[in-house]
Amino acid sequence: MKKLVLCVLSLFLVLSFSVGAGAKTLKVGLAADPVSLDPQVQLSGGMLQLSHWVFDPLVRWTQDGQFEPRLATKWERINEYRVRFYLRQGVKFHSGNDFSAKDVKWSFDRMKKSVDFKGLLEPFVGVAVIDDYTVDVVTAKPYALLLNMATYFFAMDSEFYTGTDENGEPKDAIKKTTHTFANDNESGTGVFVIKSYEQGVKTVMTRFADYWDTKSVGNVDTFILTPIKENATRVAALLSGDVDVIDQVPPQDYERLKSDKNTSLVTINGGRIITIQMNGNRFKPFKDARVRNAVVYAINNAGIVKKIMKGTVEVAAQQSPPGYAGYKETLKPRYDLKKAKALMKAAGYEKGFEITMMAPNNRYVNDAKIAEASAQMLAKIGIKVNLKTMPKAQYWDEFDAKAADMMMIGWHSDTEDSGNFSEFLTMCYDKTTGMGQYNSGYCNKKVDELTIAAQSEIDLKKRADMLQEIEQILYDDAAFVPYHWQNHAYGALKNVKVKPILNSMNFPYFGDLVIE
Amino acid sequence: MTKLQKFKESYFLYSFKRDKVAIGSFLILVTLLMLAITAPWIAPMNPYDAENIDIMNSEIPPMWSEGGESVYPLGTDNMGRDMFSTMLYGLRTSMIIAGGAVLLQATLGILVGLTAGYFGGRTDAFLMRMADIQFSFPYLMVAIFIGAIFQVVFGIGSYERLAVPLLIVIIGLAEWPMYARTIRASVIGEVNKEYVEAARVIGLSRPTIMIRHVLPNSLTSVMVISTIQVANAVMSEAALSYLGLGMPVTTPSLGSLIRSGFEFIFSGSWWITVFPGIWLILFVLVINLLGDWLRDVLNPKLYKG
Amino acid sequence: MFAFIIRRILQAILVMLVISLVGFSIKNSIGDPVRDLVGERVTPKERAAMAEKLGLNDPFSTQYVRFLKNALHGDLGTSFIYRKPALEVILKHAPATIELVLGSALIIVIFSLPLGMYTALKPRSLFSRFVMGFSTLGVSVPVFLTAIGFIYLFAVTWHVLPSYGRGETVDLFGNGYWQTGFLTIDGLKHLILPCISLASIMMPLFIRLIRSEMMEVLETEYIKYARAKGLSPMRIWFVHAFKNTLLPVVTVFGIQIGIMFAFTILTETVFQWQGMGFMFLDAVQRADISLLIAYLVVVGSVFVIVNTVVDVMYGFINPTVRVAGTK
Repeated sequence: MKKLVLCVLSLFLVLSFSVGAGAKTLKVGLAADPVSLDPQVQLSGGMLQLSHWVFDPLVRWTQDGQFEPRLATKWERINEYRVRFYLRQGVKFHSGNDFSAKDVKWSFDRMKKSVDFKGLLEPFVGVAVIDDYTVDVVTAKPYALLLNMATYFFAMDSEFYTGTDENGEPKDAIKKTTHTFANDNESGTGVFVIKSYEQGVKTVMTRFADYWDTKSVGNVDTFILTPIKENATRVAALLSGDVDVIDQVPPQDYERLKSDKNTSLVTINGGRIITIQMNGNRFKPFKDARVRNAVVYAINNAGIVKKIMKGTVEVAAQQSPPGYAGYKETLKPRYDLKKAKALMKAAGYEKGFEITMMAPNNRYVNDAKIAEASAQMLAKIGIKVNLKTMPKAQYWDEFDAKAADMMMIGWHSDTEDSGNFSEFLTMCYDKTTGMGQYNSGYCNKKVDELTIAAQSEIDLKKRADMLQEIEQILYDDAAFVPYHWQNHAYGALKNVKVKPILNSMNFPYFGDLVIE
Repeated sequence: MTKLQKFKESYFLYSFKRDKVAIGSFLILVTLLMLAITAPWIAPMNPYDAENIDIMNSEIPPMWSEGGESVYPLGTDNMGRDMFSTMLYGLRTSMIIAGGAVLLQATLGILVGLTAGYFGGRTDAFLMRMADIQFSFPYLMVAIFIGAIFQVVFGIGSYERLAVPLLIVIIGLAEWPMYARTIRASVIGEVNKEYVEAARVIGLSRPTIMIRHVLPNSLTSVMVISTIQVANAVMSEAALSYLGLGMPVTTPSLGSLIRSGFEFIFSGSWWITVFPGIWLILFVLVINLLGDWLRDVLNPKLYKG
Repeated sequence: MFAFIIRRILQAILVMLVISLVGFSIKNSIGDPVRDLVGERVTPKERAAMAEKLGLNDPFSTQYVRFLKNALHGDLGTSFIYRKPALEVILKHAPATIELVLGSALIIVIFSLPLGMYTALKPRSLFSRFVMGFSTLGVSVPVFLTAIGFIYLFAVTWHVLPSYGRGETVDLFGNGYWQTGFLTIDGLKHLILPCISLASIMMPLFIRLIRSEMMEVLETEYIKYARAKGLSPMRIWFVHAFKNTLLPVVTVFGIQIGIMFAFTILTETVFQWQGMGFMFLDAVQRADISLLIAYLVVVGSVFVIVNTVVDVMYGFINPTVRVAGTK
């Protein structure tokens, strides 16, 4: 009898839910679609977005930069090396299996084998299962960013991915260029279940009936994702009402989306710093801090923000965006043509010189235009710039070869923390440790020391002081030309309430989206 | 009779004088050519000199609109260049590239097409398969390849200086089969006709027959194609610019202007889209109209009939 | 005829060999495919290991021989980004392009034949002048401006036609290869704008070509003779004159169809049309070199086939042409 009542009740619930919500279909046009269904095959924005739809992490970022419990309901630091996570009970995978601690451990172990993620997981020793719904995450050294990293811990269905597929290949294999079970099949705990997936064409997802988060206000029932690469076409698709939401709205179309009676524009700070680096090894004068300073003083990054980015992003003078531990408020953008000329004169280059510059033209928002404007600005202090822009497929080769005197690079911190910027962009390039992988020439031992020390400092106040000192050194040295922190611009039809589900990491939580 | 007199009495001039569209097109084309040649002197500013440009002046509307400034009669583009000057310079660059590329295509294509069509057999098969191979490589591939070689040989520092000849070679090489196949087709059609037989009987040499007799009869198609190819060359260059393989962004051609016009179509800054668009269409249109007329005149059969 | 076909097949194989060889020798300038496969924070060491595993570091000859060996078994390599055999990827994208080209070819034939003939027969009429003027204008507008202009008017402003993609498609043979848009109303709606855009650059060429060829034929002795014989004008126009204009028209049509197949890139890019041109550009931008080489080989063979067909058709239309090219 009890069972029957429960059955009737749940049926009633399901019915009332679907009637009340009124089965909404969401059509989204994104600039790029996920390259696979395997959340651990590639560490990229697109793959992480998919992970948030189809899988769930232990914790996730909220819009205001806080941690929100997902598969972990609460957590506590046991000691310097260990944090305990208490897991949510009664969570089901899409396959019908129950979620428990073993899945967290299994997923972590698999992630450690992924080429893309292993670097990120270096500080970790492993995951220890305490009981069915408790795990400890253990690090080798004291590590302040453990929770930040827990946002990457998506749970995969260990049972579902164990064994071999019809070709006799292990189901948990991670391969990028050939067929694997995980590339084309999924079983996560996430809010959406993949119905069909045709790469580059269309991905169709439906809401998971047994999803644990019943409090979610989201009412999207079917979620159709189409990649639309061409900017103008993507904007047209939204304006014509063929899709409900688009991402990467080009700045020149902001006004149009704002003024159109059917559409709205939402921009959210992104935290990706856009810089141009000066290579002193290639071009000797850039070894002189005065010359580097002259370049920074000559470039009107506020003007670029106003004109090219349409004023929607924050002008930068350092790597860390506001809100990060390393952000130092006193560092202000410098644009002063007179000072720039004086510095050039002091360094003995009153007559200027000729240099080369390279920038991608399809990697960052308006990347080629930013480079072009910079070339114009440098001309005013006598620096003649030979600028070459190219698609990213060719650009990365050139960047690795450090083929020009000035090169553009943008960076978003993986950990939402300042240290990550220095590790990749401004630490002296070291082949063996892999530090300074995207640094094309600047080197200052003091920056290296501070960055390394900050990694294992868990006193947050001390750590912030160190990170801010780094920013000050980089600022004084004019280690690079800072432009701005790129934002994320979404366009949506007026009845699609996209604003509450966005965050600076650019993971739109479409599961919580409300369509009116 | 002097050459000038001969020309004055020719059918060519006669038919030209009678055709108002031809006269109009010719005048416009000459004007455009003059504007392009004299661009450095008549343009209010030099848009290729980075020193003159200020990003803060970007997207100023034309002078008659609200917010327009008389210094920039047609407004400014998204980088702060004077629209009018940039269009003059862009036209100049595009004319050189398109003209050079079409000349190269036509020369290569006509040579190959004539040879293949006239000799037939193995020569024909060989040359046509060459054309097929070339055709299979879109200009994007040719551009990436030649661009890469270029960078190794000259370094990127000289890209700005050498971009124009480079683009002529790229577009010229990529599209010669267009001519070759068409010429070959009309040569095959002509080669068995009585007049060719007659010429052969008189004992004229093969090159003479080909160039003086067969070629003029194939010119109809050459004209049709050339006029289209000029436009195509401008567009190919635009597509290459889009991929960062065309003119450097600091020295925009008409193609790059059209490309930014495409990006700005929804933006409300309509002048960035509309003016270069009209400019290009005008340029290509008069070439096409003159091509139409020229074809009618040059066609010996029509003329005599 | 049989010998001719055999010879052409041999030539086609040779063409594909040369194309693959050229493709192989330029593939390094396209970019590093490993870059697109991994995230930006993967270390150079890991990337190098991956390149090694994919066989990208092997000497040129080793790679090429390996490619040829696999090609003999019908395997043109595996696409890095689609993780499927390159040939399968291409074949799955081909129907979209074929339907696009077919649609525009249909539009071209339907409009250019009557319009071309009319303008040739009544060159001085107002309508003829209008058609000629309009077609000249059509050929002067770059295709991506035409395309985005159409989207602006029909999709964004008037909301009557869709702005991108292929819409609802039907699996034609049930094996997932041929998704057709011809069988659904939605699919047909999605075809309209891309087809007209593509046709707009080709159609004027055909109207003008048919017109000029027709005018030329009308001036020949042979037509004059027929007229003198007292044949009805209709008969002269449609049977005698028309037949003779077909040869050059068919030639150009053949060439243009070939071109359309390989060069729908711009139209497909603007409309997010999932065809071969779109795939090609994607492969270039993401340095999927194995897909690119397979693409080049396939397109090369398409060209040889189209040209062979055109040459054979010559023979049927004009028996005086030496089809096989022998003297």
